[in-house]
Amino acid sequence: MTGFGAFLRKELTEIRRTWRLWVIPGMLVFFGVTSPIIAALTPALVKSVAASQPGVVVRVPTPRALDAYAQFLKNLDQFMLIAVIIAGAGVVSGERGSGTAILALTKPLSRGAFVVAKILSQLALLVVATALGTAACQVMTGVIFGGTDVGRLVAAVGIWLLYATLLVVVMTLCSAAFRSRGAAAGAGLGFFFLTLMLANWGPTARYGFFGLWPAMSSALAGKELSLGWPVATAVIAIAVGTVAAVRVFERQEL
Amino acid sequence: MIAPPAIELRGLTKRFGDTVALDHVDLVVRPGVVFGFLGRNGAGKTTALRILSGLAQPTAGTAHVLGHDVTGATDMVRAQIGFLPDVPGFYPWMTAREYLEFAGRLFELDRATIDARATSLLEMAGLATVTTKVGGFSRGMKQRLGIAQALINAPSLLMLDEPTSALDPIGRREVLEMIASLRGRTTVFFSTHILADVERVCDSVAILEAGRIVESADIAELTARASSNKLVVQVEGDGAAASLASELTGRTWLKSVEVAEQMVRMTVSDLPTAQREIPAAITAAGVALRRFEIEEGSLEDVFVELVGGPGQ
Repeated sequence: MTGFGAFLRKELTEIRRTWRLWVIPGMLVFFGVTSPIIAALTPALVKSVAASQPGVVVRVPTPRALDAYAQFLKNLDQFMLIAVIIAGAGVVSGERGSGTAILALTKPLSRGAFVVAKILSQLALLVVATALGTAACQVMTGVIFGGTDVGRLVAAVGIWLLYATLLVVVMTLCSAAFRSRGAAAGAGLGFFFLTLMLANWGPTARYGFFGLWPAMSSALAGKELSLGWPVATAVIAIAVGTVAAVRVFERQEL
Repeated sequence: MIAPPAIELRGLTKRFGDTVALDHVDLVVRPGVVFGFLGRNGAGKTTALRILSGLAQPTAGTAHVLGHDVTGATDMVRAQIGFLPDVPGFYPWMTAREYLEFAGRLFELDRATIDARATSLLEMAGLATVTTKVGGFSRGMKQRLGIAQALINAPSLLMLDEPTSALDPIGRREVLEMIASLRGRTTVFFSTHILADVERVCDSVAILEAGRIVESADIAELTARASSNKLVVQVEGDGAAASLASELTGRTWLKSVEVAEQMVRMTVSDLPTAQREIPAAITAAGVALRRFEIEEGSLEDVFVELVGGPGQ
């Protein structure tokens, strides 16, 4: 892991000084602020649509804090994971394509350090951004709905963050494996939709990290969670994915 | 103890599918010299440099840098080399100084050393007063920053891939002067297709053609070799040159003869015999001699003879 500290410092500075600082955190804070508002306005919106249809009567339950949390999680599941895929697609291939990797890797910087620093810097950004977005959601939910159950929100977002971590590692692997950013993004989307499908099948959901998907809504609903297998397999997959990304990059000629 | 060669290639071969980029290349570069790696575009120069810098693996053969096998002790090797690729890629959000500081940290230099070297290298590269981000640099500025970053660790071996190709004449001269100033302190190995650059600063040269080394020698030896088979005779009077050429035709040592106005230029295979027989031929042709000398050879003559086409 020669050169790890210097390269990680470069990565964190790059996040601070470029667009990367604003996209993921910006989206997360945006969803944190708007999710409770959307949850509060949804009944009124549905009623106004129903009013334009003669004879249709719609009964919408009064929104609660949990609806705001559910809206926030829905945004995380859909838009944020796609954003993670797009942002991660060029994390290695971008440096390879622009020639910046060549200059860095002809110095005492190992390819393992290069890849691991990439993963850790993305995770640092994601964790901070998720914390900010979750805090924004909690504050807005408290303002709009009063008393809230922050424990459920934190548990559900924590499970989401574990899945997002796995996706960061998978995207780094894809970006190391494919020369094109588009190909890496395509492979990442394939992984994303595959996990979505397998999350709906009992055995894979019970014994694999695919079970993180249903676990998010269960955590939000306050149900008892059985997270042993999903969490353990996710951690193993993260470790294996990291090693694979390093090995793939080490074997490549630049 | 004898220092190992700065670079030693033995049977180095690199294939990309059916394409042979390097074909059993043997090369030794002595420590401390400025070495030109000359060849046309596509000859295999960049491939060789990529292997030497650890960016690519050879298909066969060995490559040693400063006594270390480049396929093994990579960190040890990288700590002692400076490398500039043909198109250096920088982080556009950094300033030139920030890039040098980043490079210095990768070499684990201390803060004071990084500051001192960054200041002197920016001065050398003419970038000391430039405060804009690298993203706004011209190609020439990037090239000069590329050379500066390659020197941040005071390398024992500096490898440069086409370092002057993107520079204007003044920038090119500055870079060549900088390379020449390193002679004796650092081994400089630079690839180029520009013959004039090699003639100007190099001690030794290897000529690469279609993946094979066709010549490797000191510049002085090569130019002397080119000089040793070219003669020029200047005579007086209309038709005198043609008469002399006619008189010389058929001599076994005469490889080619060229007549231009009052000049007769000859390429010969046996210089001493030619030097003895030409005065007699001048007398026999009955022409008046104005000048008779061995023509000074150039690297271009050698290059054209070996490669069959002019460099730049």
